[in-house]
This record gives sequence, C-alpha cells and structure tokens, in this order.
Amino acid sequence: MKLGIDIGGTFTDFVLFNNENNQLYFAKTLTTYPDPTVGIFNGIKEIEEKFNFPVKNMNGIVHGTTLVTNAVIERKGAKTAFITTKGFEDVLEIGREMRYDIYDIFLTMPKPLVPRNLRMGVSERVDIHGNVVTPIDENSMENLASTLKENGIEAVGVCLLNSFANTSHEKRLGEYLSKHVPEMYYSLSSEIMPEIREYERSSATAMNAYVQPITDKYLKDFETQLRKSGFDGNVNIMISSGRLTTIDGARKSPIHLLESGPAGGAMAGVFFGKHLGEENLLCFDMGGTTAKACVIYEGEPEITNHFEAGRVKRFKKGSGLPVRIPVIDLIEIGAGGGSIARVNNIGLLTVGPDSASSTPGPACYNLEGEDPTVTDADLVLGYLNADYFLGGEMQLSVDAARKAIETKLAKPLGISIEEAAMGIHKIVNENMANAARVHVLEKGMDPRHFNMIGFGGAGPVHSFGVAKLLNTKRLIIPVGAGVTSALGFLVSPVASEKIHSHIMELNRIDWKEVNSFLTDMTNDGYAFLEQSGIAKKDAIVNRVVEMRYAGQGHEITIELPEGELNESCIAEIEKRFIKEYEFRYNRSIEGMAMEMVTWRVVVQGPTPEMKVKQFSTGVAAEDAYKGTRKVYFEETGYLDCPVYDRYALKPHEKFDGPAIIEETESTTVVGVNSSVQVDNDKNIIIDLH
Amino acid sequence: MQVTETKFDPIALSILWSRLISIVDEAGTTLQRTSFSTVTRESNDFAVVLMDRKGRSIAQSSVSVPSFLGVLPILTKALLKDYFPLETWKEGDVVMTNDPWLCAGHKPDIGIVSPIFHEGSLIGFIGTIAHSPDMGGVLWGAGSRDLYEEGLMVPPTKLISEGKPNDTLFNILEHNVRAADQTIGDIRAQIAANDQGIRSLMKLMQENDLTDLQDLADAVINASEKAMREALLAAPDGSYQYSYDTDGDGLGNGCHFEITININGDEIHADYTGTSGAHPLSINAVLNYTFAYTAYPIKCTFSPDVPNNDGSFYPIKVTAPKGCLVNAQKPSPLGARNITGNMLHSVVFGALAKAVPEQVQADCGSACWCIVLNGEHKGKEFVEYFFLNGGYGARPNMDGEHVLSFPTNVANVPIEVLETDVAVRVTEKSLLQDSAGDGKFRGGLGQRFSFVNVGEKPLNISLLTEKTQTPAKGILEGKDGQMGSIQIIPEREFPPKGLDKLFPGEELILTLPGGAGYGNPSDRNKTAIAEDRILGYIS
Repeated sequence: MKLGIDIGGTFTDFVLFNNENNQLYFAKTLTTYPDPTVGIFNGIKEIEEKFNFPVKNMNGIVHGTTLVTNAVIERKGAKTAFITTKGFEDVLEIGREMRYDIYDIFLTMPKPLVPRNLRMGVSERVDIHGNVVTPIDENSMENLASTLKENGIEAVGVCLLNSFANTSHEKRLGEYLSKHVPEMYYSLSSEIMPEIREYERSSATAMNAYVQPITDKYLKDFETQLRKSGFDGNVNIMISSGRLTTIDGARKSPIHLLESGPAGGAMAGVFFGKHLGEENLLCFDMGGTTAKACVIYEGEPEITNHFEAGRVKRFKKGSGLPVRIPVIDLIEIGAGGGSIARVNNIGLLTVGPDSASSTPGPACYNLEGEDPTVTDADLVLGYLNADYFLGGEMQLSVDAARKAIETKLAKPLGISIEEAAMGIHKIVNENMANAARVHVLEKGMDPRHFNMIGFGGAGPVHSFGVAKLLNTKRLIIPVGAGVTSALGFLVSPVASEKIHSHIMELNRIDWKEVNSFLTDMTNDGYAFLEQSGIAKKDAIVNRVVEMRYAGQGHEITIELPEGELNESCIAEIEKRFIKEYEFRYNRSIEGMAMEMVTWRVVVQGPTPEMKVKQFSTGVAAEDAYKGTRKVYFEETGYLDCPVYDRYALKPHEKFDGPAIIEETESTTVVGVNSSVQVDNDKNIIIDLH
Repeated sequence: MQVTETKFDPIALSILWSRLISIVDEAGTTLQRTSFSTVTRESNDFAVVLMDRKGRSIAQSSVSVPSFLGVLPILTKALLKDYFPLETWKEGDVVMTNDPWLCAGHKPDIGIVSPIFHEGSLIGFIGTIAHSPDMGGVLWGAGSRDLYEEGLMVPPTKLISEGKPNDTLFNILEHNVRAADQTIGDIRAQIAANDQGIRSLMKLMQENDLTDLQDLADAVINASEKAMREALLAAPDGSYQYSYDTDGDGLGNGCHFEITININGDEIHADYTGTSGAHPLSINAVLNYTFAYTAYPIKCTFSPDVPNNDGSFYPIKVTAPKGCLVNAQKPSPLGARNITGNMLHSVVFGALAKAVPEQVQADCGSACWCIVLNGEHKGKEFVEYFFLNGGYGARPNMDGEHVLSFPTNVANVPIEVLETDVAVRVTEKSLLQDSAGDGKFRGGLGQRFSFVNVGEKPLNISLLTEKTQTPAKGILEGKDGQMGSIQIIPEREFPPKGLDKLFPGEELILTLPGGAGYGNPSDRNKTAIAEDRILGYIS
C-alpha cells in the first residue's frame, strides 16, 4: 500500500493505492499555515477513519510540496550568508546586467536572496583549468566563521570561481564550517550545480542554502511524526525532474523540490497516456493559484535545465533568479480557482495573476474574502455545487459569490452578474489556452495534434473550454482528477542524477579519464538507489553528454554509446550530434571540431507499476444520474443541465453534453456539442464535435 | 486596445500577435545557440525583425538591442527601393550588407535579410543584425582614423542566390577578417535564424488559413501607431530643449549635444541642431542609428506596453544637420558610434523631463563600455568582446538599479567564460560604493572590474569608455552620478577610447560610472538611507 501526499498552495491532496485489490482512494484537506504537517496528519487521519487503512500498514509514502517555491517567492527562507572568492562578492547581485523588458524603464530586477552585508569573500583562487593560483587562506576562514556566528546565520552558500574545475577549496571551506559552526547549514556550488558560469551557479547555490533550513526542519518533523504514527516503510520525495529522491537527498539539495507538484502532474499524464494508448498528450493542470501545461511527446515529458524561480514580474521570462536544475519543461500561468478578477484602469475585465489562495480565499468560502475569483464565477454559473464542494465538507455561499461579482465587477461594468461571471470564466480559459498554445509551438509542434488530459482541483471545470479554444478533438478527465499530482508521485521512479562539467574537444579526449568518472558517477547512482531498497540489477543507467561545436556557447544533449568508451566511439558520437543539430537547426557545419561540456549520468529505478482496477471514496449510488440543475453556458444561457455522480458511472456508459459530473475533489464541466463515454477504468473520455 | 477596420476580432488578433512575437524570439534563440562569438552567444548583441513585403516591421525579438530593431525595417525599405526591387527577390535568396549608412552605423554590424515566400509569392521579409566579431581593418573600437581603416564594406549583395551560396563573397570575407571561424560561423547562425523564423511563420499561416501577411501587418501596425499617437496627444504640446556634454575622446576634446523636442498634437519631432560637428575619433553616428536611439526613449516614455513595430515610429520625426556628430557623412569614421548613440536617451529624457517628468528616468551611467581583446590562445587567433555596464538612472518613484544595461541591452560575458577563451585572470568584479547620484530617489551603483594578462604574449586591446570626464546628469534637482576611471598597473597612460596593448603581468582596473539621481536629496526617505548604509551602497 502506497500513499502520495501533495501540498499545494490551497489544498493538500492524498492518493492511496492498495495493491491488494488494485483500488485507489482519494482525500483532500485544506493546507494549513504555518505548519503544513497539521494538514497532512488531518488527511492521514481522515484516510484511516474513512477507509480504515492505518498508516502503519502502508509500505511507502511519496511526498511533494510547494514549501520551497513559496519560500523563494515570498522571501521566507532562512537568514543566509554567501561566501565567494574575495573581490567577487557582488556577482550574485550584479547578475548578467541585462534587462528582461526593453521598454519598461520602471522595471525592477530580482533582489538577491543574500543581501550585500552578508556576502563575504575569502582569499583564494583557482584558474579555469583547476590549477590553484592562490591557496585558500586559513586565517580568513577563521574570521568568516566568527562573522557567521555573530550574525546568527542559519545557512551559507559557497560558490568559488572555477570551482567546477577544482572542488578542493570549496570542500575545505565546507569541512571547516561543519567543524567550527556545526549548527549551520552549508551548500557547496560544486555539489549543487557543478557547471561553468559563475552567476548562474552562485544563484542556484544561494537559493539552496536559503531554503535548506526550513526544508530540513520540515522534512525532519514530517518523518518523525510519520515514524511516531507507526509507519516504517520507505519515504521518497518528488523532485522537479519527475523523479523521486530520498529524504536525505531532499534535505541536501532542496532546490530540486522547486517544481515537485507540477512534475507529479506531468508524471501522472505519462501514466494515463500509456494506459490509454495516447502517446502525445497535452497535460492541463489547474489548481487554486496557478495552471500548468506540459507536453508529453511519444510517452515522455521533456526535461530542461533552464528554469527561473521567484520572478519579480510574474510569468515574464528573465525576471527571476536562474536555477539550472533539471526540471520537467512546463509552462506556468497565473490562473487558478483563486485568481482574482478586477476591472482595470482602462475599464477592461482582467483575471489574475494574483490569487486569494486559501486565506482569505474566494468570496464564496465565506472566510472574509471580498474579491470575486474564478471559483466564485464557476459557482454562479452553476458549474460548482454549493452543497457538494469537497463532497459537501465545505459549504459554499452563492450569495457571497454573487455579491462580490456584483459590487466589484457587474455594477462598474454595467452588465449582469451572469455576464460578468461568464466573462471571468472565458478570460481565464483564453489566458490558459494562449499560454499552452505558445508552449506547444515553441517546441515546433502543432497543438491540434494533441489530445488533452485535464486535472487539478479546477482543471476539470475549465478543461472543456480550454480544449475547445485549442481545437482539441478529445479530452480525458482521469480518475482522481482533483488529486492527480499526488497520483503522479506513485508512478514516478526513484533516480539519481550526477553531473560532471569538464570541457574537452572530442578528438582529444582522454577516454580513460572519462570512463573513470562515468563509472564513479554510475556507482554513486547505484548506491543511492540502494537506500530506497532498489537493487543494482533493476536499475536503468542513462548517460548523456552536452556538447557543441567548439567555440559555441550553448550545448545540445546527446546520449552516449553504451559500455566502455574509446576512440572508436567518436564516429558514432559525431553522428548523433550532427543528427540532433540538424533536427534542431536544419543544418550542420562541415569540418568544425566538436567539444563535450557537461556529462550527466542518471541511474533510475523501475517505474512503479500501478494496475488500477477501480477507485473509491465510499459507497457509490445505484444510478449516476442525480437530476438537473440550472447551469449557464455561453451558447445557451441558463439551461436545465443533467448532473451525474462520477462514482456511480459504469464502465462504457455514454451520454451527450452538456453535463456536469461531480466527484469529491473536482467537478467536470462538459459543454454543448460533445459526447461523453466512460472507459473500462472509469476515466471520462469526452469527444468535442 | 481597440482596433478598427481589421479582419481580426480583438481576441484573434491578440493571439496571432503574440505568436508573431514568439516566432521572432524563437529565431533569436536559434541565432544565439548556433553562434560562436561571445558578443552574440553570451551578450545578446543582435536582433530579429519580421517585416511585411513593404519592409515595415511587424514583430521583433523581445529583449534585443533597440538600435538594431529600429534599423532593420529602414534597411529593408532601402534594399527594396535602391538595390533589389520587389520582383527581383527569389525564394532561397539571402542578402547581406554592412554598409553603415544603410544598416546599423558601423561595419561590424551585419544585416542579413531573407525574403519569405508563400506558395510562390513574396509575402514579407525576415532580417537579423548581429555584431560580428571582426570585419578586418584595425581592431574594432575608436582607434580608426577614417572609414577605410574600419575594414571591409559589403554593399547589399546576395550572399545566397536561390539557395546557392555566393562562394566568392564567403571567400573574400574569410580572407579579410580575424578569427574567420567566428565571423563566418555567426553569419551562418544569422541565416539559420532567418530560416527558422520562416519555417515557424509557414506553420502559423497554414494553421490559420492565411495566404498573406498584409491584413495582419496592417492590423498590428495600426494598433501600435494608435497607441503611440494617443499617448502623445495626452502629453502637453510645446517645445522642450536640453543640452548635454560627453567625453568625446576623453582627453579634453568633448562633444556637445543640443536637442529641441516639439510635441504637437499626436506627433513628436526631435531636432539636433546645435550639436557638435563630426569628431575626428570614430564616434560619429549616421542618421539611421540616431533615429533608432532617439525613437527608443520616446517609445519607452509614451507607449511602453504596446508591442513595438513600424506603427510606433510613424508619429516620430528625427532631424539633424548634415555632417554633424549625429548625421555623419562619408568618410567620417564610425566604428565606435555606439558611444554616441548610447548618449541620446540622456538628451531625450532630459528634454522630456520638462514635459512629462513622471514618465522619464534620470541619466544612466552609460554608454556601455566595450573591451575587445585579440591575440592567440592555445594556438588559435581569437577576438573576444566583453561588455560592462554602469548604474541605472533613478526613476520618479524608485531608485535606479545597480549595474544594468541601458539604452542598449547587452549581457556581460561570464568571468569563467572569459577566462576559458583568453589568457586573462579577472581580479575583481564588484559594486562601486558611493558611485550613485543622490536624490529623492538615487541612481544605481556602477562597478569596478579589473583583470590581468596572465599569458606569455601581449594582448591587443581596444577600449571604449565614456563618462570619465562627464557625469550622468541628475534631473529635477537630483545629483549627478560619479564618473568612471581607467587605471593600469604598473601605472602608465592608457587611451580611454582607442587601441593599445596589455602586456603580460599588466592589470587594467576599470571603474564604471554610477546612475544619476531624481529629485531633491533632502526629500529622500530616511529608512532608505539607513538601508543603503547597512548594505554598503553608501559609506
């Protein structure tokens, strides 16, 4: 029995898979602040009581959280210092000196996570080839240690120039600090992101340090409380690349948790795609504060190393802090159930990107939220059932929603409440469809060739509208659509990724050296998997190198040939590079030397099997048809729309849209001109005509 | 935004418009990723523009160099008018030129324009300009005495004719430039970028059943023009003057700028009468370039939110007496004309501060300083560019950012990349305390940057600096920023603009100017002062 737990900005989601009867069980609780473990154990208690599965009987728990992302966005990390080569303390603040918006003279650049007075230099220098030019000054380390203590520093990031070429000075600093300031956390750039370009490496290292104490404390608390409750199985943590790490791995490199929830959603998309025979899918995930779109092509999501956290101009490329870690490539849009609608200064209705989150929440939560949100609009339009939100556990107020929309939007715009509500619903769909379309196109693909899978708490409510805008032919609302990220945690493999940055020209490589570090990296990976009980024979090893034509500044990723490498591999590597280069840029360059820059070894455990038979949150009704209620559609206005109970839908049941399908964690809205059928495993398949 | 008389409803138009922008951005990414010189791959000194068949710009790459964006449509219109009339373009053609008067004002900037065909008919153009690492002649910078020392000039020529490369031209280029691999490699990257843009545009047209770009071009151009005109209409009519001094050669022969800006209804006219004559140093700007760097701060002031295209420029007129510093004629040397172009925002904002003080910023510690190193590294000749920026000017409601590129938009070259390419060791890169101009809002800090030649041979160095003699000027009682400085150890004379050698063991120490302040310093918030002190921005 395995449990997935996903903490989002608004809700904490739970998915339990019982491998004895192949059943899935779901639960959802409000995320609790400031201590999210309260929400977790509320949920665990609910599962124990409702389904009678005590946590001590479970064999595995996989966890993901927005904790790290939120700490960066809200600047709620630890008091952090930063140590670098003397004379370069300001590199972290200067960045790349380039503006992200050329016409906005009022732009602001992201503030560094470590302020200038807490950035310190140490006298040392290593050259680009890794030779020590100036040995590290032991005396200045002593001064550093006392300054750190005096300032009550909780964590320190260390990034020295050229440390990717020689790690010894950073390691020495690490040893010194752990001995003399043992209570302090430290992150070394040569361990976090050993790649060339000092600003980007510094940024990732400082961020890791910044979020480490809170993540560490949280994960420790979480694990202790779990063990106290009698759980003795494996605990794994979801990371941004769609893979799992251990609690220790997460405590060491918490920046890898930045996109854990969204990565879980993408991995669920991979799982359902495989299950349903859909190789190419657009995953659309909409929660309380943001929506995400991710492309799954030929059964795999794309992983990118270009990622930014904490953008100052939300969703504007270049306005955040760079973090070059492997992340599933997805686009994030400031649109969720909690997104606030307003009339802007030129009299137009706008939605988001700011959110009412869980406190005060949408107006209809009746928790003192006064701003109208997407959820309020969905309630007014009849898409949501005021008496069956979270299966009736939370009563929504239609009156409060109507009042907020009326005072803040309908009156100022001189339109009806319904028109204003429909306006919110349409604009938010339009924003999401645009962003998703651009994301697909940027990959050189055509959005019309993708079917869509919709999930997240608000996803099934909006998927139909977004699919229509994208001219999608088929929309799938999977089982557990309201808790899909947590479900994705249960079908993601445990893996380690090791990085080694070493620039060498392909024709002059010392293959002995290459084989030696690749072997070390692979063995480290095996050892890591063992901690989660995965044997070497079950591991899959994937070795890649990032390479380019000598003299270029950007690389493309090539899979290395298997086994021991030597001169005879050069032709094959060249062939693979040229093939990929031509695919991307439609040309290659004759007679130009190639060079290898960064080597990566991923050692991955098997992808967990999950043969879902059925799912349950209690006793299903005999008949799925629950009657009708007034629901507003753009084409028709209010009409009496049939409402179905998702749990009572039978495999192969068919009906036409419009329809509303209710389940505890979400509601599926099916628009006009469409037909619905339930597949063997109770996934909802909607064909748009 | 309301768009009149178009075939597109506002939602369809906004979707197509943002897709056009993503097409040129994608082409820009291809250029950056396939290029070889640091100037393109690390510093982003390039731009991509999509144009209709009249050469009017429709969409441009998002974070590019403003001058290139402004110049590309002017270049393409000139190609159509005087060199390659519409009917002479064939599918698979690529035209190249670096003629400064047609293109971006100095020879290293290479313009590459490709026609776009759809089902056999010419529907538009896509063009890129990128700063090539070398075009022959003396090493790039302010060191040339006339135009001919600045290397090869290629008049508009088909570099590729119906898919067939012009081997003669490639050959001539290869034999005239330093580190030819980089220059030729970057030109190929520009061609690749154009092709990428064309492929993506074809997809967009196919998906949307478009057979032509003209309606879409009209719609976006009209919308941008309308936004600009409305903003100008809201500004007070009048005539606004400003004068401004810059370093010139940095050795006592300075330059003087005079501007008169007339706002009249929905039109704006900037005139540079009274500005110095041509300078003997190669810092003279051609009118194309002057137009681009005058229109740019005007766009920032009046219509920053609406995407830029040809329409934004229609209400703007720029004039300057023939032969003066900002309307240079043959054979004035032009190599380092960016130093002059980078000053024009100061003059424009200075004048506009009298009309719309809440919409402008104080002077920046510009121009962007450029350092070019040339020599041999690991047996191969190299030309390595890197850029350093000063402090950003204060705004009416907030401080200036430290060390940020303006008005150009070029990134620095990472220290570790620089040390990979060249035998130098960087000894410091830091914010320069107390360098910002005080004010109700202060400017941003400049920086200190120093490096040593750790190789065995002297390096040829071309240095381009500014504001070592003249400061960034404060506005509305804001204080000036601190000036920059150049020092070499062991101590000796070093030209602020020009060519020299950096011998093994010599260290060059540069301090870059700070941005200027906005408003009276006595109105500055006390908490902000205390915070600046804690952070060591001020002493």
